[in-house]
Amino acid sequence: MFANFRQAMTWLHTWFGLVLGFVLMACFFFGSLSVFDREIDRWSLPDTRFDAQPMPSFDRMLAPVFERLEPNPGDMAATARRVTGDLPSPETMSLDSLYAYTTHRDPVLLVGGEFAIPNAPVDPADDHLHVHGWATIDPRTGAKLPDDQLKIGSEFFYPMHYSLHLNWKNLGIWIVGLAAFTMLVALVTGVVMHRKVFKEFFTFRPKKRAQRSALDLHNLTGVVAMPFHLFFAFTGLVIFAGTYYFPVSHTLLEPLHERHEVAEAARTGLPHERAGVAAPLASVDAMVAEAKRRWAARDMAGDVGFLTISHLGDANSYVSIFRAGTDRVALVGEAIYFDASSGDVIREDPPRSTVGAINAFLTGLHLQHFRHWLLRWLYVLGGLLGCVCIATGFMFFVEKRKNKHAATGNIGSRVVDALAVTTVTGMVIAAVAMLAGNRLLPTDLPATGAWEIRIFWCAWLLAMVHATVRSGAVSQARINPAWREQCWAIAGLALAAVALNWITTGDHLIRTVFVDAYWPVAGVDLSLLACAAIAAWAARRLAWHERGAGQMHAARSHRRSRTHMAGG
Amino acid sequence: MGWFALAMPAHWQQVFAERAAQSPRSVLRVLAAAAVLMSAACCFKADHPSIAVLVWIMLNTGAGIAVTMTLARRPELLRALWPLKVRPRHA
Repeated sequence: MFANFRQAMTWLHTWFGLVLGFVLMACFFFGSLSVFDREIDRWSLPDTRFDAQPMPSFDRMLAPVFERLEPNPGDMAATARRVTGDLPSPETMSLDSLYAYTTHRDPVLLVGGEFAIPNAPVDPADDHLHVHGWATIDPRTGAKLPDDQLKIGSEFFYPMHYSLHLNWKNLGIWIVGLAAFTMLVALVTGVVMHRKVFKEFFTFRPKKRAQRSALDLHNLTGVVAMPFHLFFAFTGLVIFAGTYYFPVSHTLLEPLHERHEVAEAARTGLPHERAGVAAPLASVDAMVAEAKRRWAARDMAGDVGFLTISHLGDANSYVSIFRAGTDRVALVGEAIYFDASSGDVIREDPPRSTVGAINAFLTGLHLQHFRHWLLRWLYVLGGLLGCVCIATGFMFFVEKRKNKHAATGNIGSRVVDALAVTTVTGMVIAAVAMLAGNRLLPTDLPATGAWEIRIFWCAWLLAMVHATVRSGAVSQARINPAWREQCWAIAGLALAAVALNWITTGDHLIRTVFVDAYWPVAGVDLSLLACAAIAAWAARRLAWHERGAGQMHAARSHRRSRTHMAGG
Repeated sequence: MGWFALAMPAHWQQVFAERAAQSPRSVLRVLAAAAVLMSAACCFKADHPSIAVLVWIMLNTGAGIAVTMTLARRPELLRALWPLKVRPRHA
């Protein structure tokens, strides 16, 4: 079928890259935005624009919050389908376990817990029956944030990059996994098919024709940022491997998993089951102080990132206090466990094994809990280089074929170009429109989050319709004007979002940068302005290229008609 | 990264134009390797090793892109990386 190995690799790179490139583009773009998801949250929820807070006092602040915590109605409905008989009323349910989670970038605190239920499962293998409840609170007052508000950064852009919000049977996670695997394949096949990896390492020729420039940029961003692409595609797969892609511990090895849990509980001294004997809760603040003292003795930063209490109200209850991962790549860790009723230390996590340390590094480098702003921005750079690599791949595909397709009437280039416009500029339009919509929607509108999501998908759909309608030019071997028009739309929307933020909150850049510095909001505003400037520059360059291509097209048609007349 | 680029004959010609003689390739490669190692040392001195290695890789990525864009738009700026006198081709 193929004359040689290189041709086979070229075929694989071209077609797999094309089909799953559209998914990868979403992963890279929304992954880049996720680096600053908490900052986007602050921008979209003006009530939460205050400084990041440490874990508050459990005894004084969090204990009353957990007393008020209620089962989530959606989770109750989902659990009701998994059990026999009716669930007890939410008011009568008691917490079996609870957690509080924060990072060094969070002003607000995420709290939640599992409510015990007496019902039997429909599926006997279903061994984890609880109703979950959760809330986001202001840790300074304990006040709960409204449930219908959407944290656009951490609850929409972030899941978008790994699940595409296709939650039916985790379809999105599987598609993204396939795309990540394809990315690894594309990187390897790209190196095989690229004849001059080292010779053209620093090569970009913007003044050559579009096909050449696009290929240069594709090679540059693929090769120079290859460590980033490899690591992120690979670690993305590693993170979900155990839970979704190879869940052997809950399928093939379920009995072994169960036995391991019991054996581990015996080894660590952390009870696996409730004792059935009621017991009070000692001061958790005292346990936190002891945990911090022990971390300080090991010369470690002492911020609490994650706090859990298991088997609440029982003699077997224990408190786990995890250190926040601010000073290294690994996530929360170095946990210290306390007997909940006496406050005595049960156990300290020992140093990680080699395998554990590698796993913590790989997952941590992807999930980035560290306090290192330069590295965060470098991650954004890496993510955007990934976007450029994929986008220029699309452009090269179209440029290579569009003349031939125009001559033969093939619509392949036209379809790919329309999809590329939708995926590249259309996706940015959708994201920026969502931010602009966030500032335009009335604050007292019920379910504002749902409306913001509608705005996102509608804007993206409109961009797709526009790209398709305007793609006729590609059939004539010209540039699709939708690229330019959508760049102008991005510029306009980004400027509008910054202006609307100023109008609706009073937080203009002079205030957030100079007067009362608040970098999460200033950073988003400045990024939007940069986005607008780049989009406007790109639109002007595209207009210039379109004029050039139009003149060439006219000259070619003129020549063709003269030849035809001379021949006639 | 700039020294690595200049060690390549095509980019040396691009930067020093027609008056350039053959590039001092070996010297440039040694300088580039030393600079990359020194940047690694600085990163490891500043941060926890697990973070330093990522900063170092990503800074090199950024530097590679910056050098390429400079070569594409304003190659003469990279002359600053070789302030010594360049012998004209037919001197």
